[in-house]
Amino acid sequence: MRTHDHQPVERGRVPSRGEEGPARTRAGRVNELFSRWITGSARGEAFGRWLSRTIALPQLRRLAVGEIPWAPLRAPVRERTVALITTAGVHLRGDRPFHLNGDPTFRVIPRDVRPADLAISHQAYDRADALRDINLVFPIERLRELERERVIGRLAGDHYGFGLMGSAAAQMPAMKDVARRLAESHVDLALLVPA
Amino acid sequence: MGLLAREIEAQGVTTVGLALVREVAVAARAPRFLYLHWPFGHALGEPGNVDQQRTVLHDMLSLAAAAPRPGLVIDLPYRWRRETYTPVRDWDQPSAAVLSALRLRAAG
Repeated sequence: MRTHDHQPVERGRVPSRGEEGPARTRAGRVNELFSRWITGSARGEAFGRWLSRTIALPQLRRLAVGEIPWAPLRAPVRERTVALITTAGVHLRGDRPFHLNGDPTFRVIPRDVRPADLAISHQAYDRADALRDINLVFPIERLRELERERVIGRLAGDHYGFGLMGSAAAQMPAMKDVARRLAESHVDLALLVPA
Repeated sequence: MGLLAREIEAQGVTTVGLALVREVAVAARAPRFLYLHWPFGHALGEPGNVDQQRTVLHDMLSLAAAAPRPGLVIDLPYRWRRETYTPVRDWDQPSAAVLSALRLRAAG
């Protein structure tokens, strides 16, 4: 496979509310067909679930060991700072796209980002719907609403995007880095959304 | 993603994750997971369905506040494309979906 460091981006199609939508980084024709099959058909979805289990379960048996960490909320959500983490390959349009076969890095996404400022680099799901409505994998607009409505105390300044996980061990330093950044910026609650 | 939740929670930050593959969520032994039997790339639902997206977020915030112990994977009851979503009435109250799932766990 080629690397995808400097792939050109295409426009997302049918952006919501007449605005320009997020960008679709190029994934190749075969990958696009595969991701559509995995997302859009019963047999494809079953295969996708099987693949996810096959890749993830052995790694989790090795790495998800010991006591489960526990940090309960110390005040109601309306007094807490909330951050969003997505593993669906979302990043700023101007940032380096994720490697499609697995990427051990993360990208910072600022709180006031517009859908048109974003791009999705991921090959394991059909991005068509998420490109029309980024909130399906990165509900930043919904959380800004909830902040305005005072349902949550504050929306954090920085949010985080990861690409396809692949090797969890390789990704561990990035995970620890993001965890440290969240704690240092006094985030109380992190919401995690998968691909 | 479960490993990421574990790292974040170990730094003292509460986490709630959405999961689309149940066995993977269970094996991750993460603090709090909500499971949805929905297609990949659609963790918050269908494009443009704001009530659906807000319902899922309400469930996430509810589990953040109400989970009694670590390691729960809560099944949300919503069928893909076969539900009608209404606006969340009271954000200060935990969602019915999360509350009833937690009660079931406590009873079982």
